[in-house]
Amino acid sequence: MEKPSKNQKGIEKIEFLVKFMIIYEIILGCEITERGEQHGGKMMKRLLKFAKPYKLAMWIAVFFTILELAVELYQPVIMSIIIDEGIVKGNLSVVYTWGGILLGLSFIAFAGGIINSFYAARAGQGMGADIRSSLFHKIQEFAIYQFQKYPTSSLITRLTNDITQIQNFIFMILRIALRSPLFIIFGIVMAYTIHVRLAHILLISVPVLLLITIWILKKGVFLFQQVQRKLDGVNRVIRENLLGMRLVKAYAREPFEEERFVKVNTTLMDDNKKALRLMELSMPILMLGMNVAIIIILWFGHVELSLGGAQPGEVVAVLNYASRIMFAFTIFSFFMMNFSRAKASSERISEVLDEQMAELPQKETTERTFKGSIDFSHVFFRYLEDEVLEDIHFSIKAGETIGILGETGSGKSTLFQLIPRLYEISEGEIFIDGENIASMDLKNLRSQIGLVPQEAHLFSGTIKENLRWGKDDASLEEIMEAAKQAEIHDFIMKLPDGYDTHIGQRGVNFSGGQKQRLSIARALVRKPSILLLDDSTSALDARTEANILETLKEQACTILLIAQKISSVKEADRILLLHNGKIVAFGNHAKLLKESSYYQRIYASQAEGREAGNIVY
Amino acid sequence: MSTKKAKDMKGTMRRIWQYMAKEKGLFFLVMVMILISSALALIGPYLLGVAVDGVISGWGGEQLFPMLAWLVLIFTLQSGAIFFQNYWMIGIAQNVVFFMRNHLFSHLQRLPVAFFQKRQHGELMSRLTNDMENVSRTLNAAVIQVITSTLTLIGTIIVMLFLSPLLTFLTLLIVPVLFAGMKWITNRTGAYFKEQQRELGDMNGYIEETISGQKIIKMYSQESRVIEEFEEKNEALRVSSYWAQTYSGFIPKLMNMLNNVSFTIIVGVGGILALKGAVSIGVIVTFTTYSRQFTRPLNDLANQFNMILSAIAGAERVFQIMDEEKEAVDETEAVDISSLDGDIVFEHVSFSYEEDVATLKNVSFHAAPGQTVALVGPTGAGKTTVISLLSRFYDSDEGTIFVDGEDIKNITRRSLRKQTAFVLQDSVLFRTSVRENIRYGNLIATDEEVVEAAKKANAHDFIIKLPDGYDTVLSSEGSDLSHGQRQLLSIARALLADPSLLILDEATSSIDTITEMKITDALTKLMEGRTSFVIAHRLNTIQNADLIIVLKDGQVIEQGTDRSLLEKNGFYADLVRSQRQKGIS
Repeated sequence: MEKPSKNQKGIEKIEFLVKFMIIYEIILGCEITERGEQHGGKMMKRLLKFAKPYKLAMWIAVFFTILELAVELYQPVIMSIIIDEGIVKGNLSVVYTWGGILLGLSFIAFAGGIINSFYAARAGQGMGADIRSSLFHKIQEFAIYQFQKYPTSSLITRLTNDITQIQNFIFMILRIALRSPLFIIFGIVMAYTIHVRLAHILLISVPVLLLITIWILKKGVFLFQQVQRKLDGVNRVIRENLLGMRLVKAYAREPFEEERFVKVNTTLMDDNKKALRLMELSMPILMLGMNVAIIIILWFGHVELSLGGAQPGEVVAVLNYASRIMFAFTIFSFFMMNFSRAKASSERISEVLDEQMAELPQKETTERTFKGSIDFSHVFFRYLEDEVLEDIHFSIKAGETIGILGETGSGKSTLFQLIPRLYEISEGEIFIDGENIASMDLKNLRSQIGLVPQEAHLFSGTIKENLRWGKDDASLEEIMEAAKQAEIHDFIMKLPDGYDTHIGQRGVNFSGGQKQRLSIARALVRKPSILLLDDSTSALDARTEANILETLKEQACTILLIAQKISSVKEADRILLLHNGKIVAFGNHAKLLKESSYYQRIYASQAEGREAGNIVY
Repeated sequence: MSTKKAKDMKGTMRRIWQYMAKEKGLFFLVMVMILISSALALIGPYLLGVAVDGVISGWGGEQLFPMLAWLVLIFTLQSGAIFFQNYWMIGIAQNVVFFMRNHLFSHLQRLPVAFFQKRQHGELMSRLTNDMENVSRTLNAAVIQVITSTLTLIGTIIVMLFLSPLLTFLTLLIVPVLFAGMKWITNRTGAYFKEQQRELGDMNGYIEETISGQKIIKMYSQESRVIEEFEEKNEALRVSSYWAQTYSGFIPKLMNMLNNVSFTIIVGVGGILALKGAVSIGVIVTFTTYSRQFTRPLNDLANQFNMILSAIAGAERVFQIMDEEKEAVDETEAVDISSLDGDIVFEHVSFSYEEDVATLKNVSFHAAPGQTVALVGPTGAGKTTVISLLSRFYDSDEGTIFVDGEDIKNITRRSLRKQTAFVLQDSVLFRTSVRENIRYGNLIATDEEVVEAAKKANAHDFIIKLPDGYDTVLSSEGSDLSHGQRQLLSIARALLADPSLLILDEATSSIDTITEMKITDALTKLMEGRTSFVIAHRLNTIQNADLIIVLKDGQVIEQGTDRSLLEKNGFYADLVRSQRQKGIS
């Protein structure tokens, strides 16, 4: 019974904190950028969500910040007591007593500050890590087409640099920034308790300065968004160069690439300068404003003194508060820079987090093994308004081997990617074992399919780890078995570290053929019911290719095989011929040779090459 | 240990300074502005103190007014000076970062291919962005702060001495405590900052790799595993940043306390002195202002020190790459070549990527100008390595390669590569228009020439079907094009380059045979009069080659023409037979 009420209280406290933070938001308004309309005002709510697990840490941090603040705010009071009551009246014991109190309070504040450091860092770093983690989660849930919207380089910037900006901001709020506004507010209040008329001057000047600050801040958010976008650009050029290092060297295009880099780097520099210079403008303005306020206070203090409306100690104390408010303001301006950056970055993160997930209707099915029959029923697929596949309609029996031929860009690879639902079809239905794949459990569906893409993408790690992608709990025997089937086992055994050999990023240290065979082995480890080979033997010599295909046929699985050569698919049970996204022929080699003129043309093209070599068959 | 670290730190700082020294003119202006603003920052409070004293002792308006007018002027000038010092300093800082980034990038361009084999792309990217960001952040603020703080500190002490030597001495009592505390703290933060930057780079690498391998991850339903691994890295980063931030958070707290202590001492002792009439109340008020002026720069210095540590952690990682040895410099006697006949001789060439694992053993052959040379053999036989040596991505360990009778080492890499065009296994495309991607082969080609090349490579037809034709912007992975289409663009690029030496590494492996037939024609024309090296698995594409070199386990086991090799009835004949068996009967 006690716990819920405690929780309730905690939540209320958090809500108070957030309300306080939202003040900034309200002041800022939501119309900062185009994006801002969508995401503006959400930042704090989002942060709030991530703050929940750290509410205790945050409260401890806030508590100690306030404690420190209280001590600091009380200092001028003590000082004025020491001056007015002690020194002016000649009472030394007042000086000692209050001096002692001041000293004691300082130590308490110090201890509080150290504790604050621990908890502020805990909350700041923890929240940052959590945001990063949920962003990464979200990206993992992206559908393939969403990756085209966000270039890899931009996602990387968002996951690292943008989150660092937010982290700095949270830490700043908890450690310093919370103090500045509180200091300013309480500073004015304290000034009022000392001398009302003099304090009026502060009450007028502070909001004016605040408005100027906010104006700068608004501009800053926009400018920092530009900066982050330019950073994406820099990241992109670097990444492209790393990917194409050989090509750049091969064409001796280093100067061209350097020029390209200088270009993006220059725009980054220019935007950075613009943003930072604007932010730095706030500091001298605030200082000047507060200094002028101090002079005005001094003038009116002089008037008050001459009329007998104020004590010297009072004037000194108000002046003291004014100068402290000025320091708070200068810290505030530093905090503003962080705020603008964090706001700009959080909008970029929100953009990703708000990305609509493609609806994946899933019926909870138990894990089961497919037999492997595949039916396409009038399937259409459009991509960016382009008709990629039109009215694809065919049936494949379990265990069949189907060859797929077609010109470059005829939609073969796309057809493959529809089966494990890497892309969702636009119209029609696809069935496996008579069941619509749209209603299947995605994980189960994919676990039954072994897709070997055109480009063998390997990850850094050992060979063993890479092959285990196919099946998490595969034993070494299973892995070796798959490697043997893919004709790569002997090669692996020749490596100094065998299956523990480290693969560099993208398998840079392996030849194209070796990568392809590793990629095939990876698919075979899972003993798939359906094997999709997307031209994945192109870099293999004929003998190896033939051996692998031979072995595969013995597997109890349905095989779909994209190839360029008729020789690769001649032995298939049937051959599917695609042209411009449509099926033009479907049948076995003999049938197609007889009936399809298109097939005959392909056949001729490949036979011609033979003849040119003067080899007679 | 610690002395070595300090040495590294000094070295790193000196290197950053070298970049800053380029901006001497601006830096001088900044220094002038700092001097002005610091001087004004000292004079302002002093005059304010005088004015406060005056007000308390009952000055009339005719005395006070001019004083206040002076103060307004001083404060305005001070703000102006601060604005300009910041304005120019940002200019310097961003220029430094700009040049450092450029240097690092062009250095990367000059590193040997081998360097990239063991590095994750994302990790390298992190050095150019996240680490540079640290340097940038610090330079923007730290330099000014450090100089201002030092100046203010010195000035304040002088004025304080002038006001009251005794109170000054009391104020300075906190300094040793301060130094001890700071040393303790920064010893810890420095190490954690370094670790933080390393973890960040590591994570960047992981992110880059997993995002670019998304399809595989999805296909194998490995999302949860990837997330798990990511969480580990995320946690490691969290821990190191947590400690770095916690410890650096100590500094202002320590300063606040010492500030209050010195305040108390001044007020306490000052009170006694005032009672004895040794100092005026105004002096005490002024002195407390100065004592804050005294602790504030110390505080700032301490804070900046942390930022500097984090910047050094970043800069060190940047310089680390810059210190990597460049691709071996061309031999001094190396000459530029402007044209090439294409006479290529390999003489007993051996090469290994890693010690003890020979990739090529004693390879010898001769390709006459204009000949087409086919490299044949099982995967991993060393075909691509032959080509890498020919384009000098690597240098042979033993033996010599002659180009037009000249040792290849006596030709500059750039001029050699300029004469060569490549179509590689993995077609690399850039995130720019199709047109620019093709133009990469010859930067000064006209639009017509680009279209011409595309037509020859048979890429024109599919290009004009793209949403914006030649202006369609490709994604860097080229994922919006099929593998075959990307190869066609690569071929068009090579056609446009119009080289003396042509290298086709599996250039047509993913192109269907009908399309291949169409471009074979273009390729045949292209190969005419140029020495060409072709790697292909489909033997039918190489039967017309003038020289077929059969490689196995890094050795040349046969060479000759298709006919002579078939007659020899060796390995090659075997390969052909195995293809024929499966081929069209």
